[in-house]
Amino acid sequence: MKLLPQETLRTWLDRLTNDVTLIAPRIVDGIVLYKSVSTSSEVILDYSRPKMSAKEFILPSTERILSIEKRDREVTLSEPTSADQVIFGLRPCDAHGIAVLDTVFLKREPVDLNYAQRRAATALIGISCPQMWEDCFCTSVGGAPDDPNHVDLLLTAVKDGYVVNVVTEKGKALIAELELQEYGGELTRPALNQVEPVLIQEQWPERFLDSFWDLLAERCLECRMCAYLCPACRCFDVRDQLTQQGIGYSQHDRLRCWDSCTGSNYRVVAGGHNPRATKGQRLRNRFFCKFHYIPETYGLSGCVGCGRCIEACPVNIDIVEVLRDVSRASNLLKTSEISHNAGLGGTA
Amino acid sequence: MAGYEPQTLIRSQAKELLESGQVQCVIGYESGSRGQVRPAFIREASDVDRLVWNQGCTHNLVMYLRDKKQLAGSGEQSRRVAIVVKPCDSRALNILLAEKQIEREHIYAIGVVCAGVVEGAGFAGQCSDTLQARCLRCSDRETVVSDLLVGEPQRTETIDDFLDVAELEAMSIAERAAFWLKQFDRCILCFACRQVCPGCYCSVCMFERDDSLWVGIATGIKEKEFFHLGRAYHLAARCVGCDECERVCPMELPLSLLNRKLNKEVQTLFSYRAGDEPAQSPLSTMLADGEESPV
Repeated sequence: MKLLPQETLRTWLDRLTNDVTLIAPRIVDGIVLYKSVSTSSEVILDYSRPKMSAKEFILPSTERILSIEKRDREVTLSEPTSADQVIFGLRPCDAHGIAVLDTVFLKREPVDLNYAQRRAATALIGISCPQMWEDCFCTSVGGAPDDPNHVDLLLTAVKDGYVVNVVTEKGKALIAELELQEYGGELTRPALNQVEPVLIQEQWPERFLDSFWDLLAERCLECRMCAYLCPACRCFDVRDQLTQQGIGYSQHDRLRCWDSCTGSNYRVVAGGHNPRATKGQRLRNRFFCKFHYIPETYGLSGCVGCGRCIEACPVNIDIVEVLRDVSRASNLLKTSEISHNAGLGGTA
Repeated sequence: MAGYEPQTLIRSQAKELLESGQVQCVIGYESGSRGQVRPAFIREASDVDRLVWNQGCTHNLVMYLRDKKQLAGSGEQSRRVAIVVKPCDSRALNILLAEKQIEREHIYAIGVVCAGVVEGAGFAGQCSDTLQARCLRCSDRETVVSDLLVGEPQRTETIDDFLDVAELEAMSIAERAAFWLKQFDRCILCFACRQVCPGCYCSVCMFERDDSLWVGIATGIKEKEFFHLGRAYHLAARCVGCDECERVCPMELPLSLLNRKLNKEVQTLFSYRAGDEPAQSPLSTMLADGEESPV
């Protein structure tokens, strides 16, 4: 095993900032976020889980995918380009989230070209979690606090520095000029949280018409927080917007922006029909997407077990509790079998 | 009602209301996962023991009446809902009553005497022993609307000095703008602040129209600024200061400060506090039949 000494780390990061945009955990107004940094001194190394995932650097919350400039009768189209970036300090669950995005946007035709371009320009340097925090359940959905699978390089903190696990060729290139030391010690794995029951995806369809979802959704605020904080949620909406206008001149931007299935207008189609008109139907989609649609279509979990939605939901819609409730009942759920919920009959 | 815990009284009243068919649902609080308290919707008398009352009951449940608006007009007694309200929440009831969003006879308000709720309430492992800032400033102990008041009111001498707002006002206009833009910059436009607000009940929010009439789809600083300032103006003289917007914000924006600045203006100019009476705010006026606009 190779060791990256503590004192080399910051000089390495500073060197990276010369060549690429460096994204790293940083404190912004008291909140830990992945943000671009201009010097290594802004990077924090003692952190748990940044408030937001790092997905915004690959799938931005607002992305101009096309500009349409019209001058008299001449129309010019221009597409944005991506600059090279390195995301440092990525937690394994956040890397798993990017793997979900990769699968959805890249593994099948048609490939999403904007995503592909940005992803190709991005390298991921993960740091193993020193522990699983209270809300963490990555080990229940195929991950681990020291999972090297979805990064280019994985660093694991030891005394005096970081043990470097080179996962990909991209990762190898990142440390090519670094002088690493031999590490003779052993790596101790962090203690793991209890593994939560996750229904296998074949069992989900029989839960589809269950009144459980309406009961659960009754307290849902229909905000978009859970989807926006989620490393793997990737729904978006696209709209053309007029940005400039003059005599014989106009400019439109085609914007792609995050969307969330919990929002009331999420599924409204032309003509005004909403096939997911109730809160219960939309909240159900959140869980079916993660545990049935994504696994069935792409073969991996659409939930990475980071626990951000559990921590942030102001009305305690707890994804682990939902998994427990759903896995408990073998047939259609009855109100009495659900841990806390009772309420309206089903409208699914 | 002396000698009984508020929680016991809430449960027994909920049981009676459900058993007698006076209400179809009781909206209250229950224990959730990871030691949290969360909103509960009780429809069976056998479930009333799930109801709790403690210092973690921070949620302003009045916002859930937004989903119950269809009750108004149904005319059936049995469609009534009961709702547990703290003094601040009860003022939000008055707002909805005055603005004709709900009808009084469709609501059974179980008022609870409140000595304040604690910081971190509603979030796992974050509950502290300290009262929320808004509760430290609050002298209301009794609800302004209730069909039953549980708990024993105690006198308090707290006054709201708006010191936090004074700090803001001490800044120059440019400093203030810079302060707010820096705060808004963190916003992710998840709309949790709007969704949790009992005063934000428009079925289509003007800041989020599918046709981008006023605000586009982007998550840019202009969109964020327009949304937050616009929402604050819409809540001026209507905000009851429950501070739920600030509690739910995942990016910790100091949204209550914005609302309190406007509340202070309204209090100074009109000697008015939102929700004390079931009357429309001085800022929302409607022309009576035959009355002509002065403008």
